Amino acid sequence: MPAARQLELVINGERRSAEVEPRTLLVHALRDGLGLTGTHVGCDTSQCGACTVLLDGRAVKSCTMLAVQAEGAEVTTIEGFARNDELHPIQRAFVEHHGLQCGFCTPGMILTASDLLTRAPDPDDATIRRALRGNFCRCTGYQSIVDSVRAAATALREGEAA
Amino acid sequence: MSESVIGVSRPRVDAPDKVTGATHFAADGHVHGLLHARLVLSTEAHALLQRVERDAALAMPGVVAVLTADDLPLASAGSDRTTEPLARTEVVFAGQPVALVVAESEAAAEDAVEAVVVEYEPLPAVVDVEDAMLPGRALARVLEEDAGGGDLESIHAGVDKGQEDGEEEQLSGNVLDTVHRNAGDATALLETSDVVVSGTFRTPWVYQAYIEPQVATAWLEPNETLVVSTSTQGSFVTQRELARAFGLPLERIRVIAEPLGGAFGGKLALMEPLAAGAALALRRPVRVVLTRAEDFQATNPASAQVTHLKIGARKDGTLTAIAARMIVDRGSNAGWGVEGITSLLVAGPYRWEAHEIRGYGVQTNRFTFGAYRGPGAPTAAFALETLMDELAVELELDPLELRLQNAVVEDDVGVSGNPFPRMGAVEVLERIRTHPLWQSRDSLPDNEGVGLAAGYWPGGNEPAAAVCRVNQDGTMTVVTSAVDMSGVNTGFAAIAAETFGLSPDQVRVVAADTATGPYSGASGGSKVTYTVGKAVLKAAEAAREKLLAAASDELEIAPADLEVVDGVVRAVGAPDHSITVAEISGKALRFGGRYEPIEGHGGSAQTRGAPSVAAHLAHARVDRETGEITLLAHVIAQDVGRALNPALVEGQMRGGAAQGIGWALYEELVHDENGQLLTGSFLDYAIPLAERVPDIDTLIVEVPAPDGPFGAKGIGEAPVIAAAPAIANAVAAAVGIRLRELPMTAPRVWATLEESGA
Ligand code: FES
Ligand code: FES
Repeated sequence: MPAARQLELVINGERRSAEVEPRTLLVHALRDGLGLTGTHVGCDTSQCGACTVLLDGRAVKSCTMLAVQAEGAEVTTIEGFARNDELHPIQRAFVEHHGLQCGFCTPGMILTASDLLTRAPDPDDATIRRALRGNFCRCTGYQSIVDSVRAAATALREGEAA
Repeated sequence: MSESVIGVSRPRVDAPDKVTGATHFAADGHVHGLLHARLVLSTEAHALLQRVERDAALAMPGVVAVLTADDLPLASAGSDRTTEPLARTEVVFAGQPVALVVAESEAAAEDAVEAVVVEYEPLPAVVDVEDAMLPGRALARVLEEDAGGGDLESIHAGVDKGQEDGEEEQLSGNVLDTVHRNAGDATALLETSDVVVSGTFRTPWVYQAYIEPQVATAWLEPNETLVVSTSTQGSFVTQRELARAFGLPLERIRVIAEPLGGAFGGKLALMEPLAAGAALALRRPVRVVLTRAEDFQATNPASAQVTHLKIGARKDGTLTAIAARMIVDRGSNAGWGVEGITSLLVAGPYRWEAHEIRGYGVQTNRFTFGAYRGPGAPTAAFALETLMDELAVELELDPLELRLQNAVVEDDVGVSGNPFPRMGAVEVLERIRTHPLWQSRDSLPDNEGVGLAAGYWPGGNEPAAAVCRVNQDGTMTVVTSAVDMSGVNTGFAAIAAETFGLSPDQVRVVAADTATGPYSGASGGSKVTYTVGKAVLKAAEAAREKLLAAASDELEIAPADLEVVDGVVRAVGAPDHSITVAEISGKALRFGGRYEPIEGHGGSAQTRGAPSVAAHLAHARVDRETGEITLLAHVIAQDVGRALNPALVEGQMRGGAAQGIGWALYEELVHDENGQLLTGSFLDYAIPLAERVPDIDTLIVEVPAPDGPFGAKGIGEAPVIAAAPAIANAVAAAVGIRLRELPMTAPRVWATLEESGA
């Protein structure tokens, strides 16, 4: 087994270190090494999106990259997405617009939505659905998730204008 | 009085934790000294196990043990997944667990799996379910084992097996069970009917595809209690299954059902015997978490089915008789199958003058069959509702009117032999009739069509209990052992708040485990709101009685003259005479206090069923060049009894309909002729994606269930059932072809278009 090494990461605004093997995937470093279990594992073919995190603000599937590849970048997981103890407007929209049932896909959905809304602040439904194509949900039929993202977009734009 | 809590949309009680990552799912808990197990799966569909060579694996770093069936402290023989979690001598499907590699890390276990060498003596693989039934055919299991299904069958729906069969059909030993339902002379009636239509319908194995893979963790407490923390639909049933597997007394087993990351019928006692067996053998904590590849191969998807169906009617549209022969592929599941329920549901929510229905549960060397939302129902509805549509065409009747004319009403006797309880079949069809999509069906562009279909689920019953406890601060804690699979806890909060007189945000719902909680059956069969919800209602009533007795004493007003509004007890008509729930609770819950704790226990034992019926409209476009179906719009109308929380009800309706869209268009587990799975990942097995599911219009119809809490009934299964036939009927309306097999993939549609010359 290749030797483990100490990895330095900036996660949710904090400098953290964890012991990882060179082959350790980011998702496992987050979950097992750092106890950030809000990042979920739903597949082994990089398709379901349950493991999505933000890397310098862009959504990435943390099962598709090695932990060492994240060195030097800012990682945001669902645990660090709320702002100063208040739900982020996207999180609030998912609560209020019933964007979840079992909740297993939810962290990935929210972080993918964050990436989308950074790039496209006023997306139409088709754009939202396209952006979510790499995130599976088996419970909701997606419509309430699309509703949540649309509501979050409005809230974010209004927040910006205020 | 303040506004009613019932019928108001509110966020789920678990939503804040789920959007922040605070929810701990079963794979998330930290356990000191935890070992990780990986499965060695059979590469053969049918074989005798010769030898498991483990030395190379054991020599690898971090590996603690390689366990086979003989290493687990199993109590009894038996060949179900509880009593034989690892194959003993005969493997009966490719993907069956053969050994467990246990290591200090997941990665070490995974590496070592490769190093375990299993030698097999191959046997013929039985994969063609119809052929397998014929006398003299090779058997899918050659060694006799005692196969008890334990408690698992009754979870999904309480259905009898029909009449005992007099006449003997010549069948092979692969036929594990036959069901015969008949009344009247269906054959004669079909011969004299004005119109008769028939067909043979096929549906494949379909995977539940919960996004959280199966997982369980087990350990021994110092006092020898076996604790299992798991992603399951039912804690008490898992406890009983583990007692059966390992011969332990119930009190030595504690099962903790963690928040469920989706299940849909598929998470019942598959992983726990593995984790518990390893923990008992090694006396260390062990977690089994499946990779998605393992989950595809080694779990329990919905049965493939073949249905031969014939139905008839008179010229005026009155249905006459139904004749069906339904073959259910159980895979390796010797314990139970869906032949009982599917042979009931194939008659649909309609009146028949005579019926002749046979169901067969057949073993093959594929998977272990398990439950998936509305087990046996989507297949039955696909067959029946396709033929209902064809009948309407032959009779030149409107398909909706034909269904309405024959829809069951209360006390009509079904093919179960029992009268139907109150059910809104007529009401949902009436609701569809006025929908703009239905109205527009004759004015669509070329190659577009609108299809209609209906289906029902009988619901399930199991006694259950609940506790409502008022805390010192006047808030309430509701305790049940029900697993929240579909949002039931949010419904419980509304029921308790409304009954007791609090606002819902003053109510917390907690799930207890088998050591601490009141009894509850597994979540499944659309029964939890109807049964546990009723227990919550009674518990809240009991707590309210205690509250009023104490308040009466404090206010010197008779209990009958008191009301409870938003946490305040006050005199009816004189709201100034009041005391808060918190004040009373404070006087009760203290040293030397004078009142009993404001706490109630409630139970329910529902005996009447509360079926839910749903009708779907699908609007589809067919590309004649490629055969591709595009779903443009979808509508579902469902009788939900009473929508305790309409937003959550709509969520169930949409989620169920989306899974039905999967049945219709995408999902199919395929084996090759040797029983090897060809679609073992999400690359090969497509589930509906956000881009492929249209907006789904939901029409809530409320026909109250007489015994349900506030008229509510179980609603989880009904919305999946008739989605696929609605889409099939839309395809027929669009391009005039009738598909007889699901899913309706582009190649199948294209081939059918070619054949028909349509
Ligand atoms: S776990 Fe990363 S995409 Fe599925
Ligand atoms: S809410 Fe269950 S998978 Fe999306």
